[in-house]
Amino acid sequence: MAATESSRYLARSLPRAIAPSARAQGLCWRRHASDQASTKPSSALSGLETEGSLNRTAAPEAAKSFDPAARSRLRKIQLPRSRYQFRSPKYDRGPLHPHQPPHPSDPSSRLFVPGPFSLPRVEQTYESTIASDILTLCYVHNPPGFKPPVKAPRLRSWDDSSPYHKNRSLRGPRGGDVLRLLRKPITFNNIPRLERITIHSYVKNAALENSSWIHVAGMAVQAISNVRVQTYKSKTSVATWGISPGRDTVALKAELRGENMEHFFGKLIDVVMPRIKDWPGVKGTSGDSSGNITFGLGPEHVALFPEIEVNYDMYPPKMIPGCHITIHTTATTDKDARLLLSAMGIPFYGKLVD
Amino acid sequence: MSLHTTLRRTAASTPKTPTTFICTQCRHATLLRRPKRPYTFTQLITLSDGSTFTHRTTSPLPIYRSTRDTRNSILWNPSSSKLRNVEEDEAGRLAAFRARFGRGWDANTPVEAGAGGDDKAKKDAEAAAVAAAAAEEEDDNLLDLISSFGQEEVTEKKKK
Repeated sequence: MAATESSRYLARSLPRAIAPSARAQGLCWRRHASDQASTKPSSALSGLETEGSLNRTAAPEAAKSFDPAARSRLRKIQLPRSRYQFRSPKYDRGPLHPHQPPHPSDPSSRLFVPGPFSLPRVEQTYESTIASDILTLCYVHNPPGFKPPVKAPRLRSWDDSSPYHKNRSLRGPRGGDVLRLLRKPITFNNIPRLERITIHSYVKNAALENSSWIHVAGMAVQAISNVRVQTYKSKTSVATWGISPGRDTVALKAELRGENMEHFFGKLIDVVMPRIKDWPGVKGTSGDSSGNITFGLGPEHVALFPEIEVNYDMYPPKMIPGCHITIHTTATTDKDARLLLSAMGIPFYGKLVD
Repeated sequence: MSLHTTLRRTAASTPKTPTTFICTQCRHATLLRRPKRPYTFTQLITLSDGSTFTHRTTSPLPIYRSTRDTRNSILWNPSSSKLRNVEEDEAGRLAAFRARFGRGWDANTPVEAGAGGDDKAKKDAEAAAVAAAAAEEEDDNLLDLISSFGQEEVTEKKKK
């Protein structure tokens, strides 16, 4: 039997020309699992081959005694509540583990977040008026038989002037390496809408002085956003502030989605923005040219939020953070995003860059 | 680069006790943390014009009355003349100045100065009359504009 025989013996038995083993056996420090397994004659392996798992039948006594329905009927009192409840495993042990945690949308999952519990005003306004308004504003009429002019492909092919051009991947667009998002014509199923809002705050004093700054900032951002914040360490070094990468926790972020986002957005527009003194609006040049608009609020503006105002004494006045608020929309150009946001009530000023 | 040098060094100097880079894949169990959500209350926000809406907030206050919001700020109501004429006079300095020197120094004299708000109906009527007059004036101006539009061009051309 070749399988049970050791490969070492096999190599020794073969002539040198066929199996050249340069290293002596004593110097061979590599351990092969195949070597280890095959040194002793394994009866388990041979057993596996002769008799498949499909042919195996369970013990007849065990099968007879297994009758959970009857056992539960015999029970005088119910089991404790937890025995009837599925409990998700506490740890995710990878995709190959037999005990898998349920999907986060399953209420028994540990990651389950219930909700939404309310229909926010912003959502209602959007559904009832803004969506249809945007659809009307973005309508482009094409007469029947109209064929749009064919655009050049975004990725250019190589002219075959050199034999080395064969099988090359396509070239990027002229003038830059960035492939901008495509703007598809807006129809009923891709009307731009709010996707998420990110509140970000860089607290440099957390590195300059102590960590209390970042704790206060985190509490303030949590209060205004209804969302637990995440903290981040610095990636870059700022010599003047004594910040080195990977050491100082200097920033925090709250990501709002769904209900929290709508409530925050409504509150920001209806209550906070009008109370900012001498505020011209959001700068028209803001935006990352793919439909996300960012603006900043100073510490004195963050203090205007009703949640912070209601117990203003809780926060040390110096430590209230300013923050950057990024509004991510599903629009692919800044123009559409600005149209959506101005319809929702954010004023823009200055030159509008689309 | 460093990897190569290390390998060469180990191969050259100590073949008996080599140090290899053991890259074994390992998958530790990840703790599934329960998401932390701050407690939220339902709050009724009353805007300055009396309209209300509810929202979820961390503030325990049941009703929030706002004094300044989109309904009475000039940025959201650019065409409102009522809001445009509002002066920022929080310390009362302007009022004190006017009490002393009168309103002769005002840049744009308001329609009714120091009426005091005794007779509302009279004021309303006055305001309506003023508004009507203004509208008429505007109409006239527009008509003038329309009628004079082509003629001006013609005269300009003639001048040229």
